Amino acid sequence: MNRKEGKDILDTSRFYRALGTPAMLLLTFLFLIPLSIILGKAFVDVDGGLSLERLQAMLSDPYTWRILRFTLVQALVSTLVSVAIGLPGAYLLATYRFRGKGIIKAICTIPFVLPSILVVLGFVIFYGNNGMINQAIMTILGTDTPPLKILYTFAAVILAHAFYNFPIALGLISSFWEQLPSRYNHAAMTLGARRWTIFRTVTLPRLVPAILSASTLIFLFCFSSFAILLVLGGGPRFTTLEVEIYRRARMTLDIEGAAALSILSIVITLVLVAIHIWTQKLMTHQEEIERIDERRLERRPSSFTGRVAVMGYMVFSVVFVLGPLLGIVYRSFQAPVSRSGDLAFSLRWYRQLFGLEEVAGSALGTAVTALLSSLTIALVTSIVSLTIGTMLAARLRRTNRKRALSMELYAMLPMAVSSVVVGLGYYLVSSAIVGGRAVGITLVVLAHVVITSPFVLRSILPEYRKIPFSYTQASLTLGANVSQTFRRVELPLLRPAMATGAAFAFAISMGEINATLVLADSSISTVPIVMYRLIGSYNFAGACALGTILMVCCAIVFAFTETMKRS
Amino acid sequence: MAEKGLVCSQVRVDYPEFTLSLDLEVSPGELVSIIGPSGCGKSTTLQLITGLIPCHTGSISLNGRDISHVPVWERNIGMVFQDYALFPHLNVGKNVAYSLRFQNISKRERSERIIRLLELVDLAGYDKRKINELSGGERQRVALARALASQPQLLLLDEPLSALDAKMRKRLRQQIRHIHEETGITTLYVTHDQEEALTISDRIMVMQQGRMEQYDTPERIYNRPATLFAARFMGDGTLLPHDLIPRTLVSIDKGPDTVIFRSSGESKQVFFRPERVIVHDNPSLAFPEFLPHLRFTDAKVISCEYQGGRYLLSCEWNGHTILAYTRHRPKHSRVSLGVRVNDLVEYVADTVVGESH
Repeated sequence: MNRKEGKDILDTSRFYRALGTPAMLLLTFLFLIPLSIILGKAFVDVDGGLSLERLQAMLSDPYTWRILRFTLVQALVSTLVSVAIGLPGAYLLATYRFRGKGIIKAICTIPFVLPSILVVLGFVIFYGNNGMINQAIMTILGTDTPPLKILYTFAAVILAHAFYNFPIALGLISSFWEQLPSRYNHAAMTLGARRWTIFRTVTLPRLVPAILSASTLIFLFCFSSFAILLVLGGGPRFTTLEVEIYRRARMTLDIEGAAALSILSIVITLVLVAIHIWTQKLMTHQEEIERIDERRLERRPSSFTGRVAVMGYMVFSVVFVLGPLLGIVYRSFQAPVSRSGDLAFSLRWYRQLFGLEEVAGSALGTAVTALLSSLTIALVTSIVSLTIGTMLAARLRRTNRKRALSMELYAMLPMAVSSVVVGLGYYLVSSAIVGGRAVGITLVVLAHVVITSPFVLRSILPEYRKIPFSYTQASLTLGANVSQTFRRVELPLLRPAMATGAAFAFAISMGEINATLVLADSSISTVPIVMYRLIGSYNFAGACALGTILMVCCAIVFAFTETMKRS
Repeated sequence: MAEKGLVCSQVRVDYPEFTLSLDLEVSPGELVSIIGPSGCGKSTTLQLITGLIPCHTGSISLNGRDISHVPVWERNIGMVFQDYALFPHLNVGKNVAYSLRFQNISKRERSERIIRLLELVDLAGYDKRKINELSGGERQRVALARALASQPQLLLLDEPLSALDAKMRKRLRQQIRHIHEETGITTLYVTHDQEEALTISDRIMVMQQGRMEQYDTPERIYNRPATLFAARFMGDGTLLPHDLIPRTLVSIDKGPDTVIFRSSGESKQVFFRPERVIVHDNPSLAFPEFLPHLRFTDAKVISCEYQGGRYLLSCEWNGHTILAYTRHRPKHSRVSLGVRVNDLVEYVADTVVGESH
């Protein structure tokens, strides 16, 4: 085909420009408005003049440095633990074929969609003082005191982060590892190297880009982690930057201080995203070098230790990841039947949740309203994000590499601002507008669009780039104009990717708590917020019932998209 | 312009390190091949004609209508892509019917046309099949049927057989030629395979680095290549300096040939194809040629390649390599070679001299 530089008709087609520009403008608008308000608050002093006073005050406050140090340390330790758990699994996934591999691979996608409030709740239910592990140990040992007292400690934060994030390391590293051609290993073998030597000298150096990429992503997620620290950190001792921003904005009402801290957060996350994108470039660079087609040999684990390792890892990851989630479901059907507090199967929490049973003063009473607004918000968010993501992808597909990179970076920009900061920005917007509940919900939707559209773009753009240009060209020569081609050839081929993207957007929006908590006033409650309130009032079982409904909603959406992809 | 067929006049496209200039006329109903090495501008030429690349200089007209500025989708030019570009989300029938959606064609006629086209390409009954269930050859034919569906005025084929194995290529090129004759559609056929071009075409255009090297019938392209590039690209041959002629010329009873002594030589060369060479390996018999010819006695056989049905000899004579075909393996390592004066093509600075024979 035409390999030379040159202007093809599609380069000059106004159609793709017309698609991309409004999407880009909208995203810029949605992103920049809250950002500029934050900047305004941070850099403008009491008299309305520009000044660095607030920033200086923030930077000279030893408290800021203490929080920052803790934030970075917990993120670093969480990352190391996550990668350390993920790496052996990546080895097993990349080398062996075994039953249940599909389950582990499915687990790898969980962190991107699992609401953090569910992680928190699952953690409490599973590892808490009265949690399932403690109860199991207590029954076995016959004691009355819980042996595992982990809640509200540093270890709890790390463990929750590891549980949340190690599947990212597992997924990213194993899929990269699988693609490494084994001929280098074979070469090393013929040169006399032993297995461990081969791993150390041949495989590990080639895995570095993937490990770095996973690490930076996990570090970024842990850095801007919010709900986990808010609940499990449990106090000023374990306060991170994001929690402090929320605390100042919504509790001590020190908006300017929150804005100044946001600047710090934005700078750090920007650096982290830049590093992450650099590691991704390293990865694609290596993939280009090593693109060799060969039949991959996946063997069944032959030795006894190999089989034990595979089994052990499978049990571990299923219990570690799915255990807390199943615990939530189990707990939601348990209620005390007698004064003594013995638990038995009961639908009480669901009855309360749906208003069939009166409860005075419990947040559970607002659950139905919250569910309806969450569903509405998630639906609108996913439609808007899908539209923006598809339009942007159509624009980015055609641009040449150099420009595409800067534009992709641009489209990824919302990722570089933590959702707490996005929430703060929209909170500041909301305090400037006088409006009712509808305005509030709209602002939540806009914040969610900013958070989810990069994910949608990321699921569509690679698929879009896979459509050969000859398809588009063939359609044009067959008499379809550019927009007809877009509708009849490109969109149908993108349908699976669009379905995935929309489902991701829906699930993320449905479980989003960071921005929503910072932004929303008391008139707006979503499912995660009600869950947060229930946890705060120690109604864990009620939170479990609502959490189960949240999981069911996301599961239905994903099942629906799977059938969409098939048809 | 009232001319029928395809006329590209003074079309130019400039790329940073490459310029394509095109002057081409294709008569109605003709099948013309474009041949050249990769990167010579063959595919770009097709994309220009379809309108996938805009034409800013020069003009393209089809059956008397200037289409230089008509958008791709209104040109009604059928094209078969190298990778076929069949839409994987549509079945065979819907792929073939794709172009009919954009025309005012009744449902009944649409389905009739699909049936007719699939019969034409020998795929009757395939309309409900999925694309990924088809073999390479079947995909190629579906692509052909799809390109023909809107009854285009011009059909473009971009290396349509390059992804297929040798046997399938031979079968399909016959079928393409047959369909061409049946539909009578003006056709441009891009290939890099010289055998394909020679067998299928009415005329061949040889391209190099964005320029047309020669545009002629297959016979003339093969036997009288206009340039040394065309000569070499279209097949094997031997190139010798012109000043060898006085030393090797044998004129039995006629006078010296007029062609050879007409012009004086400096940097002149002669070229001939291996099948024009007479190989004589029995010194006890007389040399079997009586017309004026060049004779290279006592050439050394360097290699003898069996090609199935014939041998390709590579012989060394006074430091020159001469290629020749024979039906038998030579009995000795020393042979005498002869080539008729009439079979020589002369070149000065890479370009042919003397259009007369």
